[in-house]
Amino acid sequence: MNPLFLEAIQRQTEYMTRRHFLSKCTTGIGAMALASLTGCFADKKPSQEQVSGIVRDLSRPFAPLPSHFAPKAKRVIFLHMAGAPSQLELFDYKPELQKLDGQLCPPSLLEGKRFAFIKGVPKMLGPQAQFKQYGQSGAWVSHHLPEFASMVDDVSFLKAMHTDQFNHAPAQLLIQTGNARLGRPSMGAWVTYGLGSENENLPGFIVLLSGGKAPDAGKAGYGSGFLPTVYQGVECRSKGEPVLYVANPEGMDRDLRKASLQAINDINRIQHEETGDPETISRISQYEMAFKMQISVPEVMDIKDEPQWVHEMYGTEPGKSSFANNCLLARRLTERGVRFVQLFDWGWDSHGNDPSNALDKGFSTLCHNIDKPITALLKDLKMRGLLDETLVVWGAEFGRTPMQENREGKQMEFKGRDHHTEAFTVWMAGGGIKSGYSHGETDEIGYYGIKDRTDIYDLQATILHCLGFNHEKLTYPFQGRNFRLTDVHGKVITKILV
Amino acid sequence: MSKRRRNFLVGSIGGLAVLIFLWVRPHKEVDFNAEVRPIINTKCISCHGGVKESGGFSLFSREDALKPTKSGKPAIIPGDPDDSEFMKRLVHADPEERMPYHAEPLKPEEIEILRQWIADGANWQDHWAYLKPVKPEIPTIDTTWGNNVIDNFIYQKLKTVHLNPAPQADKTTLLRRLSMDLIGLPPTEKELTEFLVDSSVNAYQKQVDRLLASPHFGERWAAMWLDLARYADSRGYEKDQPRNIWRYRDYVINSFNEDKPFDQFTIEQLAGDLLSNPSESQLIATAYHRNTTNNDEGGTDDEEFRTTSVIDRVNNTWEVWQGTTMGCVQCHSHPYDPVRHEEFYQSMAFFNNSRDEDVPDETPVLAQYNPADQEKINSLKKWIGAYTSPSEKSNGLSEIDQLFSIAEPKIHPHTFDTLTNAALMDGKFMGIGHTGFARVKNVDLTGKRHIVLNAGFGGNDCRLEIRKDKLDGDVIAEATFKNEKKPGAWSFRKMLIDLKPVNGKHTLYFIAYNPKTKNIQDYAASFRWLYFMNKIPGSDHADFAPIKDTLLAILNRSEIDYTPVMQENPANFKRKSFVFERGNWLTKGKEVQPITPKFLSSFASYSSDRLGLAKWLVSKDNSLTARVTVNRFWEQLFGTGIVETLEDFGSQGAKPSHPELLDYLAISFQTDFHWSIKKLLQQIVMSATYQQSSVASKLLISKDPANRYLARGPRVRLSAEQVRDQALAVSGLLSKKMYGKSVMPPQPDGVWQVVYSGEQWKTSAGEDAFRRALYTFWRRSSPYPSLMTFDAAGREVCVSRRIRTNTPLQALVTLNDTVFISAARGLASQMQNSRGSISDQLLYGYKRALLKNGNTRIAKVLLKLYQNADLYYRKNPDEIAKILGKHPDRKEIMQAVVLNTSVSTDQRHLACLTIVANAIMNLDEFIMKE
Repeated sequence: MNPLFLEAIQRQTEYMTRRHFLSKCTTGIGAMALASLTGCFADKKPSQEQVSGIVRDLSRPFAPLPSHFAPKAKRVIFLHMAGAPSQLELFDYKPELQKLDGQLCPPSLLEGKRFAFIKGVPKMLGPQAQFKQYGQSGAWVSHHLPEFASMVDDVSFLKAMHTDQFNHAPAQLLIQTGNARLGRPSMGAWVTYGLGSENENLPGFIVLLSGGKAPDAGKAGYGSGFLPTVYQGVECRSKGEPVLYVANPEGMDRDLRKASLQAINDINRIQHEETGDPETISRISQYEMAFKMQISVPEVMDIKDEPQWVHEMYGTEPGKSSFANNCLLARRLTERGVRFVQLFDWGWDSHGNDPSNALDKGFSTLCHNIDKPITALLKDLKMRGLLDETLVVWGAEFGRTPMQENREGKQMEFKGRDHHTEAFTVWMAGGGIKSGYSHGETDEIGYYGIKDRTDIYDLQATILHCLGFNHEKLTYPFQGRNFRLTDVHGKVITKILV
Repeated sequence: MSKRRRNFLVGSIGGLAVLIFLWVRPHKEVDFNAEVRPIINTKCISCHGGVKESGGFSLFSREDALKPTKSGKPAIIPGDPDDSEFMKRLVHADPEERMPYHAEPLKPEEIEILRQWIADGANWQDHWAYLKPVKPEIPTIDTTWGNNVIDNFIYQKLKTVHLNPAPQADKTTLLRRLSMDLIGLPPTEKELTEFLVDSSVNAYQKQVDRLLASPHFGERWAAMWLDLARYADSRGYEKDQPRNIWRYRDYVINSFNEDKPFDQFTIEQLAGDLLSNPSESQLIATAYHRNTTNNDEGGTDDEEFRTTSVIDRVNNTWEVWQGTTMGCVQCHSHPYDPVRHEEFYQSMAFFNNSRDEDVPDETPVLAQYNPADQEKINSLKKWIGAYTSPSEKSNGLSEIDQLFSIAEPKIHPHTFDTLTNAALMDGKFMGIGHTGFARVKNVDLTGKRHIVLNAGFGGNDCRLEIRKDKLDGDVIAEATFKNEKKPGAWSFRKMLIDLKPVNGKHTLYFIAYNPKTKNIQDYAASFRWLYFMNKIPGSDHADFAPIKDTLLAILNRSEIDYTPVMQENPANFKRKSFVFERGNWLTKGKEVQPITPKFLSSFASYSSDRLGLAKWLVSKDNSLTARVTVNRFWEQLFGTGIVETLEDFGSQGAKPSHPELLDYLAISFQTDFHWSIKKLLQQIVMSATYQQSSVASKLLISKDPANRYLARGPRVRLSAEQVRDQALAVSGLLSKKMYGKSVMPPQPDGVWQVVYSGEQWKTSAGEDAFRRALYTFWRRSSPYPSLMTFDAAGREVCVSRRIRTNTPLQALVTLNDTVFISAARGLASQMQNSRGSISDQLLYGYKRALLKNGNTRIAKVLLKLYQNADLYYRKNPDEIAKILGKHPDRKEIMQAVVLNTSVSTDQRHLACLTIVANAIMNLDEFIMKE
């Protein structure tokens, strides 16, 4: 067998043994997590406050609330590349993999493994990109992201991320909701539930889609699960009304709407005198907010008035539906205090069965389409002094295999890789995150993380930490149990924190 | 004063207080549930319970609490608190030894309660909900207020907090409330007038009877039940393909309308297929548990998502019927409730033997045919009957019935193991190349003489051989594909092939041949499933050929209506059930058999299958089903359940506000009403409690903000469905058409964006665009947005309780959604037709929507809005046509409203009325139930 394989397997075995040892010795730590979870029931009937440090008055669902401790970031922009781009063609440089290109994968890397499409014995696939080191930090970035390469000193890479879901919908649900099955609140819902929003005239949790299709997990990927539905992500669209129902019906202008809302609220006040129900007062204020939203949503969504240099920097074209436009919108929304902006860019599923995403074909276009906007977003936030308090996360639901996909045991038409759970790259930047840092390493072929592995729950715990939450304490009582985003898992990745 | 000294003093005073307390207090045995359990659950259980047994000590059950701990001695010695380590640890001087560990010590009075509890013998008492309800004594109350027993319980409790019941609501408010509650629609003008002029003593009773008999009753209550059943018209996850399961929704509507006793309703849904000779409706009922999600994403493991569905069925059944949350028990014993880890899997064993396997065809499915095909099937059966010997009559015909109805067990491609030049295409269908093969083990061929093969082929002629035991074994069946379609087109179809008589279980090799394939890797043949059949009588007769053609023609019809249903695995397909270690389905622990958890009533006399489970759930001894169920109906009427946590009756759930009333209703429901839901609802709505006015003083609101004591009637926002249905009803647009395939009312463009699937939202034509909300096509990955905004459940998992919110996005729906604009137009047309002065017309609109007269202040506000609108449309005449809708929907509306006079030519007037109507339909009192 090729010595490189032996080396890789040896490293993996070491790692597994060490991890096994750790897991044996740290049952105490796991148990402590559980104790602090259940230990929340410090008193007879746990009030919301005791459980999560949060008193959430549902009549003002977005009223800003303090977090558990002083936050480093006030808000989040999560750039989710739906379909999962290949880390081996972007950030995880594996020159040794090139030497193995075309060789059969050794059975030891396949035994006991579950893949979505790989069948039998696939061949290894060398990196389909040229890499260089950039910046002070010397981070490796491929030729696919030339602009982003200039920003590496502003981000922290997580090079040894792993997950346990190898199908898109369950894996997207896991990273967004902490559970691979349907029914849990998404991260944005948890965060807006916990913190409220700084701008009541805009939804607190906004979702922007590009790539022509919705993420595989559907609306459940930004749903509210068992939290009140008011915390579900609100989709802002480039076509049609920017937010559903925000536009007045045809034949009615803003002044007439204002008069109509005036009448509604006048009668509601008369009604309140009769019934005395505080809910009526709440409804009056909701209608006032609706009116403000009708003004502020179209205003924030209209990028026409941005100066030309901004358009050039992002590569935006007003009126078009694109990832670039969504990045600019993300900046505009965060600028106005929106708590959580979730972007999904669809189309990164590079199996090699379709030229549009194949590593030797359309992949470079996909990369090109995000390179400029992502760079612009980071630069723009920085220029405006917003990056320090905004957490930007770039990543996907899993990574891709060092093997070339051989769907149904056959040679694929184009170069592609299957879904890979063992290793992928995520990067974070901004509020609370170290600049120019890289955490975690994979083996010589990028198959396994061999140092500082981090999982989905760790990522979630870290995001919540930057926002000032103890992820074990941001809980919601449901079905007799205190649920949380990270379930019973998650360790804050302290090494990437400032 | 030093801190220690102060503590000492405080402690002494506390101790003294306890002593005095004990001295004054007559010796009465400590109430475990009221006094001891709360201490255990909040202070001890997280380290000494179902999840963790620190030091080998657990307070999970009495048995656990008394067994020896790690030290070798038990921590609790009944009758001897002084010798019990448990007590010593509570007061230990060393903080490292004192319990609760690293936490505040227990209060002296808590320690005293525990001491006395052990002195009394450390007796355990089950949590209240696990004790069988006993019919409570009806409190005698000193008042003329009250209509029935419910009021006695409510009044008694009111007195304890010095509150008085509110007067009866006025007749208009009352009828609107009753009508919204029982049928989900407001009363018509005529119905209201009839009630208002009816001065007989039983006027209200007559309305109750009318509404309970209305066909819309079933629609309203189905909306509640479908949240529990997590009913949807799609399968969930990435592909989220449509699912044809609307017949189940219609079954629920019919069951409520027929007032099907709840025990029967339960048995049919959980185990209708296991009843002897189940009717078609009883089979459809079992679709209840086929509403689980199905993952068709390429590369998913069918067994993983089959397991997911089975786990959901366990959780769902326990939540819906027992108010017990089983989710945590998947990974470890329940932290608070007496459910052990392995008991989850014992419950799962009831559900683990259903035939469904997360396949794209969603089998087992019940096929239903159009009348013409049904007629043909009948003649087929006649022909076959003629060749059937008297002894095999029932058998032979049932074979055909089975073929045309459910045809199970089918064998799916994922059951095949060795594949050579063959693969699961997209992880789903078997594809075999030239001379490639696939193997399936352990097929019982005894008595089998035919195979129905759902197969496809890739263009040119191809042959598929089935060989026995070895790759070069005897050919026992053979299928030849003839290319009927244009080359290159894959067409799956069902074929009937003969099988040589073979006895016993065998391994079968499926080998494909197509020498014409250019690339050896190209698939020559493919199949989705196969189904082995006994001999069809007459099939060896010369005349069978045309019969077979007809049979296959019908089987291959594209318009067959398939509904997913439950089927139990036959003996040779039975799966074993195991504990999943730490909830991981890939790590199987010890084998388990189906049985219900020990802490509930005995399961000894029931069969170990779903039917046994269903019967046990509705048995006299089950303490939970009736309580949980009456609580659901109570919540729907009052806005909050007697037990607020509808989904959790366990020790962490909310305590009942009126425990005796809950038990009284539960026993009445089960015994006196024989599980009749209509009788239960009648009892509740006839009570004076229900009929109270919802008007509340500031004082009452501050004393009882959530209205838990019910010193006033309920005032709650309408449900998502009711918000829509009411608007359509008032506008005159609502279609009263019942049943059938789900419909697609107007929704904003571009809402449906789904990966891969080309499914599209096509707005339904005609009255189908204006059906009640529950007929709306429910796609899990992209549910109908306006309903979701009003807190409808996503229908991914069971939802017992929708949390009501009040948000600006809801205002935007009722202000701007085309559905609500159409409704405003409808109401405006009626206002215009009411004639009279402008003010009269405006007040007519108010009354039409809210059923009551607007006062002069309201009239003034409406008139001002009208004048504003008038000014606007005078300045902008082009806008008139827009607000009135120049598009076809306008015509439709006018037809739907059925105007009795010709349409007025005064379009501007109508436009202004539309603006006012839109405002009226956004009033708080319109959105609320009062």
